[in-house]
Amino acid sequence: MALTLSPALLVGVSLAFGLSLGSPSAAQTPQAAEIPGPQATAPSPEAPDPSLSPECRVPGSKLYTLAKLKAVKKALREHRAVHVLTIGGSTSGGLGAAASYPVKLEDALTRSFPDVEVEVDSRGVSGEIAFGAAERLRTMVAEIEPDLVVWQVGGNDALARVEIEGFAQSLAETVAWIKSHGIDVVLVDPQYTASLAKDDYYNHFVQAIQKVAASEQVPLVQRYEAMRYLAARAKGEAVAGAGFRLADLGYRCMAEHVTRAITVSLLQPDVTGSTSPAAAH
Amino acid sequence: MRDPNAIDFWRGVALITIFINHIPGNVFQNYTYSQYGISDAAELFVFLAGWSIGIATRGRDGTPEPAGRTVLRLLSRMVEVYRAQLVITAIALAMLAGAALSLDNPLLVEWHNAGPIFGDPIQATVGWVTLLHQLGFFNILPLYVVLLGLAPVFVLIARVHLGLALAASLTLYAVCLVAEINIPTWPVEGHWFFNPLCWQLLLVLGFAAYEWRRDSERFLAWRRRLMPAGLVIVALGAVLSWFNLRPDPLSVPEPRLLFTFDKSYLSPARLVHFLGVLLAFQAVFGWVQPRLTWMTRQLAALGRNSLAVFSVGSVASLGAQLVRFWSGGGFAVDIFVVGCGFAALSFTAWFVEWRSRSPRPSSSV
Repeated sequence: MALTLSPALLVGVSLAFGLSLGSPSAAQTPQAAEIPGPQATAPSPEAPDPSLSPECRVPGSKLYTLAKLKAVKKALREHRAVHVLTIGGSTSGGLGAAASYPVKLEDALTRSFPDVEVEVDSRGVSGEIAFGAAERLRTMVAEIEPDLVVWQVGGNDALARVEIEGFAQSLAETVAWIKSHGIDVVLVDPQYTASLAKDDYYNHFVQAIQKVAASEQVPLVQRYEAMRYLAARAKGEAVAGAGFRLADLGYRCMAEHVTRAITVSLLQPDVTGSTSPAAAH
Repeated sequence: MRDPNAIDFWRGVALITIFINHIPGNVFQNYTYSQYGISDAAELFVFLAGWSIGIATRGRDGTPEPAGRTVLRLLSRMVEVYRAQLVITAIALAMLAGAALSLDNPLLVEWHNAGPIFGDPIQATVGWVTLLHQLGFFNILPLYVVLLGLAPVFVLIARVHLGLALAASLTLYAVCLVAEINIPTWPVEGHWFFNPLCWQLLLVLGFAAYEWRRDSERFLAWRRRLMPAGLVIVALGAVLSWFNLRPDPLSVPEPRLLFTFDKSYLSPARLVHFLGVLLAFQAVFGWVQPRLTWMTRQLAALGRNSLAVFSVGSVASLGAQLVRFWSGGGFAVDIFVVGCGFAALSFTAWFVEWRSRSPRPSSSV
């Protein structure tokens, strides 16, 4: 995995000098003066992010919307272990390369924060957020009591074609509940696949998650947009089974993408509100 | 074929309810009783399983059968249920994979926890065959397998003294609830959706209720007397559920599972609510049977053949979900898929009974 250490370096340097973390995209802010070297700033949101490995390379604007992660930042300041709970999707922890998202996430986060211990627990949630799964998620959060919940959300609900409004309300309530207990949340929206590209329901569904992330001010990993970008890049190679290969790629890249969204979110200044590279265009 | 009775009737109701609730988002889901309380049809299903064990382990004259036969009977039922679980899981996996191929949609192979089976087959095959990995909605039979494995212990203790079996069951429940002990899942980190170590209490309560009803006039008198309390509990459950009021698991004191409405561990609130439902609805069968004879017969037929009906219902509800996904859903689709499902369940009950009536065993065909 070719994650560069730039965010880690930035965090480390900022911590060493007891400074608040500066925004990478806010070159005009005073904090930018403290940021060492050009490598430490995030790249332009419109160019493919070079800190990602080549096969997963997506521009920041396609990959995430940002918000502050106060609990993680606090853990970093206090030099204690950061406890992450990943929820949803195929989260088996073991053998095959495609099957080890939580392990990969732990590796990628540890690489980004070399001085900090990162522990990742993972839980799969079957069922729909709108019908009981949100309740089970609360139980899991209470069981683990993490600093950060990385939640791949909506896949089950979207396939079950549950009513979008009810889903969004349930999601917003659950995110608000997690945050109310001083725990950070990063949402990961559902996958892109060509056969659903023109499905109105599915598109509205993905948008509903974006809206909840914005209104609840939590970072969102735009897996849908990122995979659509990767699919467009791979055009020309379109052969049978392309959708399945893209899903596999999206899955392999998820740990990197999530880590990137977390590290860049941590660079959000404490003072100003949330910003989004996507909102800039 | 036995005549309709309350147990078969209610089991039929539970089967229909589970079928509908396993098609999330369909319009009929709003009208199942699960939406109006904090316990649901799973509790009813397990309680009635305990009751049936009471019936099955006594001879026609009511005397308990020999201990060895009881153990073998329960274990052979366990094997039967395990076999059903493997078959329906295999069919479900093929349905998801087939739908993913035909709709060119890789998301479908990740639905309902199936992802690891296709993405990490080496571990996950071991997982699903050993019941350590369960597909979403395919988690009741694994519970039942373990319950049937535990049942001989409780039934035999009850032969010494019923109170002793209840005390053993309650102790196991309380310890697992307080210490949060559950069977782990594998290869995906986590725990069983239905914790058998807690849910066994409901099985033993069902068994004990059957025994008391046989032997104790006082039980029957108290059951009637407590009906108003049952109605109050049901009303309270409806209010809590309607306004979505439930304890915050991060704010309740330890041991928190005593206070939350957790389903996996059959939290006390769910248990109390379910007992309230039993008390409140105890007279319904007697009222319904003479008035709605056709419906009673149909539901009782489902209940008599519950394993086959449950298995077909599980597969049918997944089929219904796939149709809803493919078609985009909607009222007409819901009527169609739920209607087809009911027909499939009814046919299954009829077919199983036809097969057992048929003079020639199917193996000689």
